[in-house]
Amino acid sequence: MCKIGKFFLKLLGIFLAANAVLFVVFFFDLDGKLLFNVVEPFLKNHYDNMKRKDVLTMPYDTDKFPKYKYDE
Amino acid sequence: MAKKKLSKSLKDFWYGKPHTAEEGGRRLGELYEDKTGLFKHREWRGVKDTFYYMYMIWGYNYVHMVTDILKYSDNPIDFFKGTWRYRWMGQTYLPVIHWFDRGLQGMRGPALRASAWHYRAMVSASIQQICNFFNGDTRLHHGKENDAYRHTFLAKETTCGTLFYPWMDAGYQYVPIEMIPYFVTCHVNSHTVLNYIDAAQSIGLPGDPCPMCQAEAGIYVLDDVPDCAPFVITCNEACDGSVGTAILQDWFIDKPLFAMSLPMQFDDPLVRKFCMKDIEECWKFIEEQTGVPFNFESMVKRLELQNKLQRDEWEKWEVAGKTDYYPVNGVAQALFRIFSTQYGIQGDFWLEASEKVKKIMYRCVEKKINPFPQTRHRVIAWSCAPLYYSNWCTWAYNCWGLNTIINMDSLMFDMEIRTDSYEHMLEDMATYHMWAPMRRMAVGGMHHIFELWDYMERFNCDMVAMYDQLQCKGMQGVHGLFEDEFRKRNVKAFWLPHALPDCRTVSRAEIRRLINDYMTTVMHEEPLDPSLLDFDDSMTW
Repeated sequence: MCKIGKFFLKLLGIFLAANAVLFVVFFFDLDGKLLFNVVEPFLKNHYDNMKRKDVLTMPYDTDKFPKYKYDE
Repeated sequence: MAKKKLSKSLKDFWYGKPHTAEEGGRRLGELYEDKTGLFKHREWRGVKDTFYYMYMIWGYNYVHMVTDILKYSDNPIDFFKGTWRYRWMGQTYLPVIHWFDRGLQGMRGPALRASAWHYRAMVSASIQQICNFFNGDTRLHHGKENDAYRHTFLAKETTCGTLFYPWMDAGYQYVPIEMIPYFVTCHVNSHTVLNYIDAAQSIGLPGDPCPMCQAEAGIYVLDDVPDCAPFVITCNEACDGSVGTAILQDWFIDKPLFAMSLPMQFDDPLVRKFCMKDIEECWKFIEEQTGVPFNFESMVKRLELQNKLQRDEWEKWEVAGKTDYYPVNGVAQALFRIFSTQYGIQGDFWLEASEKVKKIMYRCVEKKINPFPQTRHRVIAWSCAPLYYSNWCTWAYNCWGLNTIINMDSLMFDMEIRTDSYEHMLEDMATYHMWAPMRRMAVGGMHHIFELWDYMERFNCDMVAMYDQLQCKGMQGVHGLFEDEFRKRNVKAFWLPHALPDCRTVSRAEIRRLINDYMTTVMHEEPLDPSLLDFDDSMTW
């Protein structure tokens, strides 16, 4: 077989193998299982332990900005 | 016998298993893993539909989630920084495809294709909003107020996007503050919002107002709102809980803020005048803050596209009401409409999806294809839906043949806005603005909530799914009136209690149990798919 033929056969093989892998991921919901069991708990842990500003310590300065009334 | 079995297996492989139990059905409830709602394996819908789902929905949307980021983001790195910084982002963006799975389960042929296009448009609109958040967010840019920051309008999610069209030609972007952090998260991953509801209550706020208002306030309490615009526009949403949210927003945002007043009464000429004035004041505020004048041409350009989208919808509703050929399922119909009418024309995704759906729909009409062949009842869903279980109607069709044709979410902005003069445009804008979510669907007064009877007729529905938002004081007040009317008119109706975003108050399983009870004890019907009657998805997204 010529070199070009072999190359295309190889390409076809890679394409088919990639599709087979994708199908397994899709059909057995492996994306969902990964996200639910690994990624989400990891992210949740990160967000739960994040340092956040205590917004309640901010003064509520009601006179800081004009009233934006345009009908007076 | 063996030959018959083989022939059925081959048929099931090629076309997918049939829907009903009598035909040796597909038993969708058995696909779930216990509690999590994850699939042991995804549904086999037959060769054509399974591979359509895999390539054109699952794969296509994963790929487009990435290309949308590249399209709308000024710097894709910001997207990752934002994911790391904001809980609503990280927890929500990842399970998007499972949101598709839940809404499209059991769908075949045109119903699968058309409903998925509605979902695609919503994902694209969401990514645009997320990118608009992050493009200007000072937290992601070392406190720097960049050009995107100066060109972003931040507004409460129930302040309709239509208001900001006049500045779009000048390069401004509108971001509804809570639409992604609150509204979309509830649908995609119902776990996220619980943090925000609890945060609002943790500072001593009462737990009995509308949980939507609580969650919207909680996002601020947890300091989880991007700092992406120099000023803010809020509104009261005509709900006392929301007034409280707007006060907290004024406190925590600490920027120039214009509070629009949605009147408690509407359909009154004096109230309309008040509203027109309020809109004009809002526009003056924007002019003052941006230094950019109101541009009527920019307004008209987008309003005409919005009107086109509305006319498209009327075309679709005509088919939905008068035939069995409408291919969009209940959840895809409702979410597409509420999202598109509230966010407005900020991109071409709505119109593109609408065109694709119309094409599928007309093919169904032409070839007389009924996309929901197991329909036993044509249902209209009324009042506001449970956000954590908006896909209940997909389940209801699969389990009982209850086909939700239309819903109140879709119908609330049922109008065009005239563009022939400034005066007409303003008059219609006032009506559009007053018909904000929670107005026509909940606290809009007797006239509007009782439009149900007209719409039942228009959409040829024989059953009502009546949502009962347990923490909405407005709707609690009319519960008895609906009961009386249902009896008087001999309308088949079931109540669907829920607490809007909070899946802890009424679980999904409880909602299903109530519908099951109604269908067996009142309607004396047998389920199409008994495996869906009872399953545990208490931990699902």
